[in-house]
Amino acid sequence: MISETWQLVVRDLKKWYRTPAWMVASLVQPVLWLALFGNAFNLANMFPGGDAAKAALQTDFGGAPNYITFLTGGMLCFLVVTGSMWAGGPLVMDRSLGYLDKLLATPISRTAVTLSLLISNVVKGLILTVILLVVAYALPGGLVVGASFGALDLIGIFATLVLLSVGFLWLFMVVAVRASKFETLAAIGSTLGLPLLFASSALLPVATMPGWLRAIADVNPISKAAEAIRYLLIQGSLNSSAVTAVTGDIVYLGAFAAVCTAIGVYASKHGLRME
Amino acid sequence: MTKIIETEGLTKVYPPSFRAVDRISFYVEKGEIFGFLGPNGAGKTTTIRMLTTLASISDGRCTVAGFDPRTDTDQVRRRIGLVPQDAAADGDLTGRENLLLSAKLYRVPDDVAKEKANELLELVGLSESAGKLARTYSGGMRKRLELISGLINEPEILFLDEPTLGLDIQTRKAMWDYIREVNKERKMTIFLTTHYLEEADSLCDRVAIIDHGQIKVSGSPAELESKLGGNALEIQVPEGPDLTKALASMSGVSEVSRSGSSYTLRISNNGPSVQAVFSGLSSLGVKVVDTRLTKASLDEVFLNVTGRPLRDDPVNPESAFVSHARARGR
Repeated sequence: MISETWQLVVRDLKKWYRTPAWMVASLVQPVLWLALFGNAFNLANMFPGGDAAKAALQTDFGGAPNYITFLTGGMLCFLVVTGSMWAGGPLVMDRSLGYLDKLLATPISRTAVTLSLLISNVVKGLILTVILLVVAYALPGGLVVGASFGALDLIGIFATLVLLSVGFLWLFMVVAVRASKFETLAAIGSTLGLPLLFASSALLPVATMPGWLRAIADVNPISKAAEAIRYLLIQGSLNSSAVTAVTGDIVYLGAFAAVCTAIGVYASKHGLRME
Repeated sequence: MTKIIETEGLTKVYPPSFRAVDRISFYVEKGEIFGFLGPNGAGKTTTIRMLTTLASISDGRCTVAGFDPRTDTDQVRRRIGLVPQDAAADGDLTGRENLLLSAKLYRVPDDVAKEKANELLELVGLSESAGKLARTYSGGMRKRLELISGLINEPEILFLDEPTLGLDIQTRKAMWDYIREVNKERKMTIFLTTHYLEEADSLCDRVAIIDHGQIKVSGSPAELESKLGGNALEIQVPEGPDLTKALASMSGVSEVSRSGSSYTLRISNNGPSVQAVFSGLSSLGVKVVDTRLTKASLDEVFLNVTGRPLRDDPVNPESAFVSHARARGR
């Protein structure tokens, strides 16, 4: 199982780097959001007022010195969630091209087919994460990390994103397991993408939201991930107090990933069986 | 002879009640090339899918390499190679990578796989293109790559679904040579589907003609031709009385048609029937001016058992819709 899964992971990664347009396309949106949206929302200018008002605002924004710093966590989540929507694409293509028949006629586990796409997409997500962090940092007036930010925080960020993406990857994989057209994935992805993002604290703090939206955003796994990453970026130093601050979010994301994995594995076993 | 595939009343019903494959019974002997000949939608691919564990079996029973695809799924999968109709190779991988990936999925050890890949690439003349992405291959090269990627695990049975679909006639003939070689050199049993009569005729040891999910007839191409195709004997005689009745009563003659003073006879076998016709005619005092013997082909066999020629493929409704939509600029 492990060996076949790994072979299929390698296959998907080869397809990815041999089509560099994919990598560029998946980065364009979050980078533009960061650069345009991040700069357009200049918090200090938008809400003029005394120092007290600015301090209150900064508290709402988790202590972020500028909007790009606040937004980076949200954009990283956006990056892996949109990535997960397309992760099933190769499966749908294999089905419509006929390659899936060849795969399923071999003695490999059915779960290896979906699990391999999941793993390769986690790998892609982490590579894109690094690139996006560098871009956010390099932007003029861009990301400002906390003074004590270190390697442990970076690992914490990766771990958070892995949990978030595993959850969404399995969820969207359920669709790909049965879909025979790429358009099905595109329709679901484009319909769910932005609402999921806006109904979370990825773009704006929940404190400023109306009650009903806040109720949704509070349970949205994207919020949990965005907040955990933000905390690690801004506060830095994964010491005991930081651990306590992000533990709740991580546990929540872990549970989300576990439930989605159960659903996804079940769907792979039953969705890819004999027709 | 060992029967390596055997089915009895094999049936596939798609809900609510479409019988894609309807109670078919046949066997494939070890080491032979067995072909399913029939038009699109006849149930060929569905049969392959049932035998290769991809589709569930609605009714009937079958064994593949000694195992039941329903219950011993993994045992069957380990012993077969499948080359599906369309993309059996991944265009984003090189020829060699495609082979090695297939090998890994069957857990062929690395060193064996490498050696085997080189040997197979050599066999079909792809050694030089092995490092190029499969999407840059021509149609014929691709089909050859797909053929050998089904062989990397040394299966007992190789399933080829329309192995030469879309190839031009020259490339198709080259492909037949490769398939023959695989069959002879490696003593590999091959089950293939085709809707090309020439392919079934020249490649297969035995053929089953399938139409509307049912096997109409099966046997070796020569057997079918002599039994069901019949050879055509044309004879030209001097102007005279109508000989239709007299000819039709001769032994071995099944059908007579007349056009002026020339007659076309359907005869069941060559030698004896031709002899009988000539001696019959000479005893009637008729001198034969000219004769021509046309050998029967699977064309006629198909026409005789299904009531329509194979060439007139029924239009696939989906592709008709697509071309319709394209014509309307969608």
